[in-house]
Amino acid sequence: MNVHELPLVAFTILAQMSVGSFVVLGVVHLFGIRKHGHGAVDRLSDPALYAIGPAMVLGLIASIFHLGNPVNALNAINHLGSSWLSREIFFGSAFACMGAVFAVVQWRRWLTPLLRQILAGATALVGLVLVYSMSMVYMLPTVPAWNHWATPVTFFTTTFLLGALAVGAALVIVYTYRQRTTAPAGSTDAAATEAGTVTGAETGTVTGTETAATEASTEASGGVDVATAVVVEADDETRASTNALLRSSLRMIAAASIVLLGIEFVVLPTYALDLATGNANAQASAATLMTAGGAVLLTRLILVFLGAGLLGFFLYRSAARGHQRHLVYLATSAFVLVFASETIGRMLFYSSFDRIGL
Amino acid sequence: MAKQLGFYFDQTLCTGCKACQVACKDKNDLPVGVTWRRVAEYSGGTWRQDGDTFTPNVFTYYTSISCNHCDDPQCVKVCPTTAMHKDEHGIVTIDDGKCVGCRYCEWACPYGAPQYDKDAGVMTKCDLCIDRVNAGEQPACVAACPSRALEFGEIDELRAKYGDTAAIEPLPDPAMTRPNLVITPHRDAQPTGHGTGAIGNPEEI
Repeated sequence: MNVHELPLVAFTILAQMSVGSFVVLGVVHLFGIRKHGHGAVDRLSDPALYAIGPAMVLGLIASIFHLGNPVNALNAINHLGSSWLSREIFFGSAFACMGAVFAVVQWRRWLTPLLRQILAGATALVGLVLVYSMSMVYMLPTVPAWNHWATPVTFFTTTFLLGALAVGAALVIVYTYRQRTTAPAGSTDAAATEAGTVTGAETGTVTGTETAATEASTEASGGVDVATAVVVEADDETRASTNALLRSSLRMIAAASIVLLGIEFVVLPTYALDLATGNANAQASAATLMTAGGAVLLTRLILVFLGAGLLGFFLYRSAARGHQRHLVYLATSAFVLVFASETIGRMLFYSSFDRIGL
Repeated sequence: MAKQLGFYFDQTLCTGCKACQVACKDKNDLPVGVTWRRVAEYSGGTWRQDGDTFTPNVFTYYTSISCNHCDDPQCVKVCPTTAMHKDEHGIVTIDDGKCVGCRYCEWACPYGAPQYDKDAGVMTKCDLCIDRVNAGEQPACVAACPSRALEFGEIDELRAKYGDTAAIEPLPDPAMTRPNLVITPHRDAQPTGHGTGAIGNPEEI
């Protein structure tokens, strides 16, 4: 396996995960708002949003270790007109900056929700352009193993797979942590079971009560009994709504990861066949991928199958049935397995390098 | 812009002595692991049947190669910093004051011309001995060749004199970068893409 390109492995995996998380979180947001309102959605998704920044920054820092002469690093965006590497660095930095601005705006609740959404949409778009640029960096005519449609397809699959599962794990961890710290003992289970009964018709009223409750709680600083009762009731409803949102998001994430797994499992054999029937360099790359029986490749495939496929299936089922306690273990271990698999896959990608000519 | 410069290489004369490679290394004080001009040994063979007897039919020929200062240099195209550029003589040159040492040009060039100096952290490459050329001398590699297999000059003149062949194994298809290189092929030379042999000295190039 290729250990010389570890900085690039770290950069590409972390950047793709960040973009994927941002996009998936955006989708969760859009779907969530319609059903559960801004309050529940922000409550659940904000901590996950703040976690994307450090991941992206870590990736950018890792990329600096790839450079022999980082002193000149700023020159790397000099050649936007012709070098995909320049474009990659440019869009990488742009995504990080726009993401940071959005995180601050969202945290301080600046601007209107619509303007925040537009900013988030633009950031997501820049992120997707970043992933595209990243894949184009490797579309070198001199490297047949990389100059293949499988490169962009795989990069985008990694982006959405890691993004989805990272968001799934983050949401469920945030939710579980909140329940342990804020909910009084005993009411946790009540909220969870109640959530099972929340239907679309009811959630419409939840947002209304919630805003009323917030106003009520500001007025009720004196500790009037009636107001407190309203707050408690509204809190329960927000909690139930958050729970319903969490579980519908997890179902969506689990379903998406199973579909993406399917794409990976179709792309890989097609790609391997192309390499095996390609020119001498492509065949050399195929041989590298399959070295020693392809044990490393097989490990990667088993890991992603277990994470995205098997755990994805159980995650979907648990989220649908409301097995609250399983969710946190399922979501985090699915993410860990897939993260390991995609990292190994990326190392194999760099190992498969074999250049035409001398 | 001055006339584009390039190299001519006569495969029929090369003995694979590597005097060009050593002269280049010496003139440019290249560190271990950096070799701007290299000599590739390409060999292969088959069996020939004479009645009931099979006799080996083998070949080996040498190709001395450096940067070809291509018309469509992939290294220049992909370089993120514009450190890699084509100067007024058509010489592909690296400005180490701009280079970040990302080694992307190394992936992109099919001739292995840009090479990484790990102590300096930047890429290095053949500059066609522009200092010697400006002083009216030949590049070190050309001057050193005992067989006179190497020449350099304006590529139009070289092509008028020697034809326009550069598609010889183990070199890549010239359509990729349009190298300013002319080769007189060895009698056993195989065209690019139809090679049956292999590079005999991969660790040397």
